[in-house]
Amino acid sequence: MRNLWQFIINNIHLLLFLLLEVVAFLLITHYQPYPKSTLITSANQLVAGVNETGDNVAAYFHLRQDNDALNSELANLQMQMQDLQNQLEYYQETSALPDSTRYHYAHLGYQVIPAKVIDLTTHQEHNYLTLNKGLRDGVQSGMGVIANGSVVGVVNQVNDYFSLVVPIIHTNINISARIHKTDQIGFTHWLGHDIRHVQLMEIGRHVLVSEGDTVLTSGITATFPEGLMVGVMDRVNLDEGDNYYNIRLRLTTDFHHLRYVQILNNTLSPQLDSLYNE
Amino acid sequence: MNNILRHSIRFIVVILLQGLLINNLHWLGVFHPYIYILPLLALPVSLPRWAEMLIGAVLGLLMDMICSTAGVHMAATVAVAYFRPLLIQRLVQDAQRISTQMCSLTMGDWQFLTTLGVMITFHHLLVFLLEAWSLQHLWWLILTTLLSSLITFLIGFLYDRTQR
Repeated sequence: MRNLWQFIINNIHLLLFLLLEVVAFLLITHYQPYPKSTLITSANQLVAGVNETGDNVAAYFHLRQDNDALNSELANLQMQMQDLQNQLEYYQETSALPDSTRYHYAHLGYQVIPAKVIDLTTHQEHNYLTLNKGLRDGVQSGMGVIANGSVVGVVNQVNDYFSLVVPIIHTNINISARIHKTDQIGFTHWLGHDIRHVQLMEIGRHVLVSEGDTVLTSGITATFPEGLMVGVMDRVNLDEGDNYYNIRLRLTTDFHHLRYVQILNNTLSPQLDSLYNE
Repeated sequence: MNNILRHSIRFIVVILLQGLLINNLHWLGVFHPYIYILPLLALPVSLPRWAEMLIGAVLGLLMDMICSTAGVHMAATVAVAYFRPLLIQRLVQDAQRISTQMCSLTMGDWQFLTTLGVMITFHHLLVFLLEAWSLQHLWWLILTTLLSSLITFLIGFLYDRTQR
């Protein structure tokens, strides 16, 4: 026993070093592939609080760009509204349901919670966004996050005031996507580093695709409604003997300048869940 | 007491700088300097090693919260805190006399720059490697490590010059 104590005292520094490293590695492995609580993340209330204060100061420096962006968004929405009104009048006159109504029905049941990005990493393989909305605002994990109609990511962890989002530029997330022209469904996969591009996986060689095709959300999961922008194909390869295309998408979302996002609350998802569970 | 205060202020300033400013800059996608490691490297050598490791662990855990990388920064800072005194003892005779802070005045120019360079590169390599948690992009990893370490090293070097 005395020898043991002697050994511990003689090697106290090495043992402390090993102990702390073991704790660190337990944390690393415990938080793979996603965080399981907001405790050691940027949605932690202390860190998020400091970040929010810093962000409030920084927000003054890009008021002008934000105003421009809001203006163009407003103009877009007004145009869309005008368009829809015209359609509505037309169909009320002809009283026939158009083929495109399924898209509008798909949008029903989604509630939008506006939120602000208070922290965002882009240089890691496992990037995260912190939003200034939490449980108190109705945010729950699993909700989709979009910005100006294009996909950003999925809410992963929530506490009372903040939420942590796993963006599409995280190496462990796949988001279901559909090629607009051919209705072919695949999923996105991020390779790391390049925050402007993701890969589109599982598109078989029999499909006709070309650069410039748009890719939208598929609507087969409850997270995102159908038809939100994901990206545009900017490089398409098909190697001899490959069964699947090697497709690179240019993301519509600009993660460098992401400040305001919308969280999508699918109000029908409890009914969907109960359906799947039966 | 004055010395403790000076070191504490350095830690706080650098953590805020890292979290609020440097992490939000996008330097061509390859430069990601972790300057928060500098005050840890500037601690006096006479500090007990267990204290240095505990300071390192707390610093790392704080950075993990800020970067959402549970454990990654902690593993790197604890390793730096453990190996730094061993390296300095190889380079400087009677290293225990460095009791205020580690800088080029207290330990000599080339000894200081060697310690700074080796420890920064070691730390950055650990952080990038553990964060990626794979060797898939090894060359990219080495490139980012070298370029980011260089920036951190330059900042540490310039800060040291202004203190002379």
